[in-house]
Amino acid sequence: MSTIKEYLTASHGQCDELFANMEDAVSKSIESAKEAYEAFAKETERHFQMEERVMFFEFEQKTGMTQGPTAVMRHEHVQMRNLTQEMGKAIDAKDKDKFFGNSETLMILMQQHNMKEEQMLYTMAQQHLSADSDRIVDMMQSMIVQ
Amino acid sequence: MDFDGLSVDQAPPISAPLRFFLTAPLFGVLAGVLILFSDAQTLSNRHSLDAIAIAHAITIGFLSFVMLGALTQMLPVLAGAKIAKVGMVASVSHLLLLFGTLFMIFGLQNAHSALTLAASLFLGSGFLIMIISMLFGLIRVKNITPSVRAMITSLIFAFMIVLIGVHLLLSYGLEKFSELHVLFSNIHSVWAIFGFAGILIIGVAFHILPMFYVAPRFKKFCKQNVVWIISAGLFLWLIFNLYFEEYSIASKVWVALFFWAFATTVYIKLNARRRPVSDVTVWYWKSSAIFMTLGSFAWVINDLYDAKYIVVVSILIGGGFIFSIMSGMLYKIIPFLVWFHLNSKGYMSIPTMNQMIDKRLSKLQFILFIVSIIGFMISFFIPSLLALFAVIFIISMIILEYNIAVPVLIYIKTIKTKPDFDMSMFTMKVES
Repeated sequence: MSTIKEYLTASHGQCDELFANMEDAVSKSIESAKEAYEAFAKETERHFQMEERVMFFEFEQKTGMTQGPTAVMRHEHVQMRNLTQEMGKAIDAKDKDKFFGNSETLMILMQQHNMKEEQMLYTMAQQHLSADSDRIVDMMQSMIVQ
Repeated sequence: MDFDGLSVDQAPPISAPLRFFLTAPLFGVLAGVLILFSDAQTLSNRHSLDAIAIAHAITIGFLSFVMLGALTQMLPVLAGAKIAKVGMVASVSHLLLLFGTLFMIFGLQNAHSALTLAASLFLGSGFLIMIISMLFGLIRVKNITPSVRAMITSLIFAFMIVLIGVHLLLSYGLEKFSELHVLFSNIHSVWAIFGFAGILIIGVAFHILPMFYVAPRFKKFCKQNVVWIISAGLFLWLIFNLYFEEYSIASKVWVALFFWAFATTVYIKLNARRRPVSDVTVWYWKSSAIFMTLGSFAWVINDLYDAKYIVVVSILIGGGFIFSIMSGMLYKIIPFLVWFHLNSKGYMSIPTMNQMIDKRLSKLQFILFIVSIIGFMISFFIPSLLALFAVIFIISMIILEYNIAVPVLIYIKTIKTKPDFDMSMFTMKVES
């Protein structure tokens, strides 16, 4: 089974792929890009919830750090959710400029967020939660998005 | 629990990178003005005081300012490294480098010993404060990625070229030149271009291109080995120049080959990128790849022709390659920083990144810059055209300054208003 770090890093990759598909769809025709947008938004929300409801929760329980790195990551999730919603509104309004304005911002925010997680937080989580790694990955895989 | 060195919750204050970024194009304008009032004959000799002064208005004033500003921002994100007291380090270093560069330019141009000596002190301390602070942050990083390794290597080269640079500048101030003066100046320039700037660009590109453009990832062999292979080539070049000068072309081929391969890889990867977005940053990356390809070949074959053509090589690599990438980076990083810091402070009704900079103006700036770089090379052979291209370069730098100042003004204007939400309990911890 993958480690926590491997599993969540691969999930970042899937979100990137869906992000590229969405932008590609919008650049071709914003009228028919809703499906690609929904696929990206759904997978990204699943990733956020896997972290917030499973991994961050376990990490905070184990380390006692609730106002540390996970708080910053949760805050960035809020920022990314807002941008994703704005992109959805832009697609509904058929406003390409607004869509790409928000997608560009989201792309950079998402990538620097992913870097911090992959470079630091996942490594820390793997160290502190190594004994429960399989259980945590299993919980993330079987989680139902709320 | 030991979380030292893990700075996931640390972001430098926005003023740390911005003070460097906003100063850089102003030095570009100054360099353009100095070129405008110089004569082409003097500038075609790279050892003339005018040429040295102008070269450093660009290499320190523009390129180093952008690189140092970007490093303060990238170290916590790309490497997880924390620069202690980053706000203070950045402001002190910025002031020292600002006055140091100005003193150097006017000290050399007017043969003013005191100014030149002061410049060596200011520049030496300004660079070393930043370089040592960053190296201290980086040596505590536990997860050494290829990008972290590249940053450390680049900063070690930076450390050495600063020491050599201080020695060279002292020589001008004291008017005492050692027998090795020309050799030292060659080491200084080659290591600065390929060791400091080149390796830093390669290390950052490993991350930036796949992530921001969803371009194919660099091969593992490339990420693991290219930095030490280039470093070994640069040391070999030094040894050949010291003891076996007739073989130095072999080490040049070694270094140039890898930079050419890097440039080609960048171009291919950008063409294969998944994101359909094509903006000024992509154009700058692509143009830099083309200039680097030409520059690496020109650098190698330069030995076979007249040594004076090194000026053309410098324009290709310094202007076409490094300057292009730095300009492109400014267009990406500044609007993002403004958006990110405002959003983190609870301001939600703010322009998106794309709305902060006028696309037509950034396109115009890019075109004028590329025309000026090509024009400077033409002017080497047709000196009467130099003034025309200097003016075009100055205009492109003024537009660049305007383009990056607009997002900063948006930040200043917005920060004076009340945020949409009070995020004070929930914002990122910012170093001061």
